[in-house]
Amino acid sequence: MTKCAIDFHELLARVENDRELMQDLLSIFQEEFPQRYLALREAVELLDATRVVLEAHALKGMLSNLAAGEAAAASAELERLGRNKETAKFHESFANFENIAKELSRQVTAYMAEVSG
Amino acid sequence: MRILIADDELISRRLLEKTLQRAGYEVTAVENGRLAADGLCKPQGPRLALLDWIMPELDGPGVCREVRKRKDQSYVYMILLTSKEKKEDVVAGLESGADDYLTKPFDPEELKARLRTGTRILDLEDRLIEAREQMRFQATHDALTSLWNRGVMMELLARELTRSRREGKCTAILLGDIDHFKNVNDTYGHLAGDEVLKETARRLVSSVRSYDFVGRFGGEEFLVTLNNCDPAFGLARAEKIRKTIADHPIETSAGLISVSMSFGLLLSQEWGYQSVVELLHEVDTALYGAKSAGRNCVKVATSNRQRDDSVEMAPELMRRRQ
Repeated sequence: MTKCAIDFHELLARVENDRELMQDLLSIFQEEFPQRYLALREAVELLDATRVVLEAHALKGMLSNLAAGEAAAASAELERLGRNKETAKFHESFANFENIAKELSRQVTAYMAEVSG
Repeated sequence: MRILIADDELISRRLLEKTLQRAGYEVTAVENGRLAADGLCKPQGPRLALLDWIMPELDGPGVCREVRKRKDQSYVYMILLTSKEKKEDVVAGLESGADDYLTKPFDPEELKARLRTGTRILDLEDRLIEAREQMRFQATHDALTSLWNRGVMMELLARELTRSRREGKCTAILLGDIDHFKNVNDTYGHLAGDEVLKETARRLVSSVRSYDFVGRFGGEEFLVTLNNCDPAFGLARAEKIRKTIADHPIETSAGLISVSMSFGLLLSQEWGYQSVVELLHEVDTALYGAKSAGRNCVKVATSNRQRDDSVEMAPELMRRRQ
């Protein structure tokens, strides 16, 4: 069984059971995430620690708000590596983030398709 | 209550916006620190703010520092939103002028509770300002009529005389006294007497321009300054004011009471560089002249050379306050 990338129970509590708002937030995620993801990937490829910190921090905030705990933790790790200038570990950490993010995106797309009927 | 939220991350911003709108706040949402600082520093800007720590243009602590630099506007209660949890980060945030901080992702109930704390502090500030303004009003105004009190009138008059001398203009000083006021109190009672004083004050204020001054100078004595007054019309204006009082009886709880006032008038440009006290002495002498002339009239103060011998006596001692 696939692990749920978003803790919907927690997310619903965060939006005070406003399902419409929850869908709105997930819709924003679908629009915003690809750009943020690409920006982080570019920073990792360039081994630009400063940009890795900024992009990973922004993703961490976005993912935390969506109760996507595992993805938020993976971006937090990249932020930590960036702060410590541990550039050698960027690619391995990003690969981990990428796997989690892909699954998250797939699940969000499936959920939105389901709720939009 | 209006609140400003500043967060560059759209999901966070939308979540905050909706949560706070549901809680009854009027929300302004901006996406960077520069817009936040500008919004909070403008007059009548929001007094509650939720600021993300890391933002483009200006970060949350930077916004706090900029807002705290202002000294002339109402207090703004600012909460920093942060994923930073180290003690030194929290200290740095609070040192920048933030009142509180909240760790992201926030819990809606905790967020609202912290904002209620902010609202209580702002309410307290409002009450303190209101109390200070009340005290300021009480210190400068007459309690019964709400006119300027004697001390303030002396200051306003001195300032106005300085200005009119500098600009070569004339200030008309009008000192009036309600005729036979003691009879009003004796006949109708002090409550009716107070009503007469209040209505007299109201009529005096309504008969002058917004930039003239009216004050209660003593028991039933009022001082009016007609600033930047054309001396050719000084007497006519004083007569008009006198008629405002005398032409219509005053409605009181004891019935209609007819009163009149006697006035002394002084046109400052004819008196050179005399002090406020000296000029008030002269206008008091003219008021005494009006009383002696049968009351309900205006007498113009004349210089020593022109003064009629009949009013050359100590007015405070001679004038009967009735």
